[in-house]
Amino acid sequence: MQQTACHECGVLVALPDHLSSSQYHCPRCNALLHRRGQPFSRIIVMAVTTLLLFVPLTFLPILSLDVMGMHSSATLFEALWRLVRDGYPAIAMLSILTALVLPVTLMLLLLLILIPLHLGYRPKYVARYYRAYEHAMEWGMVEVYLISIAVAIIKLSDMAALHVGPGLIIFIFFAMTFYITTMWFNPDDIWDRDALCE
Amino acid sequence: MPYVNDIEANRVLCTHCQKLHDVSAVRCDRCGGHLHQRRPYALLLSWGFVLSGLVFLVPANLLPMMVVKSIAGDDAGTIMDGVIHFLHTGAYGIAFVIFAASVFVPFFKVSVMLYLLLIIHFRWRARIMGGLKLYRLIHFIGKWSMLDIFVVALMVGLVQFRELATIVTGPAAMAFALAVVMTMVATEVFDPRLLFDMQQRSRT
Ligand SMILES: [Zn+2]
Ligand SMILES: [Zn+2]
Repeated sequence: MQQTACHECGVLVALPDHLSSSQYHCPRCNALLHRRGQPFSRIIVMAVTTLLLFVPLTFLPILSLDVMGMHSSATLFEALWRLVRDGYPAIAMLSILTALVLPVTLMLLLLLILIPLHLGYRPKYVARYYRAYEHAMEWGMVEVYLISIAVAIIKLSDMAALHVGPGLIIFIFFAMTFYITTMWFNPDDIWDRDALCE
Repeated sequence: MPYVNDIEANRVLCTHCQKLHDVSAVRCDRCGGHLHQRRPYALLLSWGFVLSGLVFLVPANLLPMMVVKSIAGDDAGTIMDGVIHFLHTGAYGIAFVIFAASVFVPFFKVSVMLYLLLIIHFRWRARIMGGLKLYRLIHFIGKWSMLDIFVVALMVGLVQFRELATIVTGPAAMAFALAVVMTMVATEVFDPRLLFDMQQRSRT
């Protein structure tokens, strides 16, 4: 038996040592209190895939447009960089941070946490990195960005002739592998292995 | 009330790793996180960020979000103009997405946060469980109000044809971005356990 409390309603709960299912919910408010286990090697592979997909995103164009014989194409970074140059650095930074920088940081943090644990080490920094991961998760918005690209395409399609670039296909996969990685990751499992800070 | 909470038992929960400590502990001995029985200044900060978010929502909805500059002249549009444009052209799906993400979600978030704060303020015990469910909902959908900011950012970056056609962001974009950030911070600094605290027998 392990004593804990619900993080959403505060009630004291005793977690049974052997859960009947892999998840345990709060008896009062039904918040998810505990999950058991996680597929280490699959998460690591997915996180590496996400990082590899990020590389072509930096140079492949997501869209190209033609207006009356003029041509314009841009990668995600170019599109956002133009925004910085035109005097909207705050909005550009917010987009770059939540859609690209934070997701990549999250994947790196996950690898730094999971690889040593998987190999049987218990480095002290894991706890600190995990808290950074928690904060970054609140602000990572890849899935929102993906839908916003779709909306932008529809809005632009009645202004100009539009061609989808390979960067967009890569970004769709990037968003999908990112999402799967964070779904599979289970922080409870880190603490179940305890003795991290000893 | 059969439920005993952490305050009554003189315990404090680490919200990072869920380890339970004696109330005297300051930092978690398992993950090193700071320990607080309730998030510090939760009510004060929530009120502050919710009201600021509400203030920024007004210019965000009334001023133009982006301006399309072309040889045909300047065309400035607010968020609702965009929605109405898609309704006229028959693109109901996209009109719905933009309306839901940019108009409904931000106002819904602010209303729910105000409702939660009022539940605590007026001690409406019967509304606790409903309040918690709404809190979980806005926590889940909150990010989506960033959608229109991203759309504007993308379009400005993509449409650059010098004098032929360019798109620049309008004054509403900044206000809207601030409103979204404020409401997101408001839900993060709020502590849902405060709702249930008024249900406990002994109060500290
Ligand atoms: Zn609970
Ligand atoms: Zn802890």
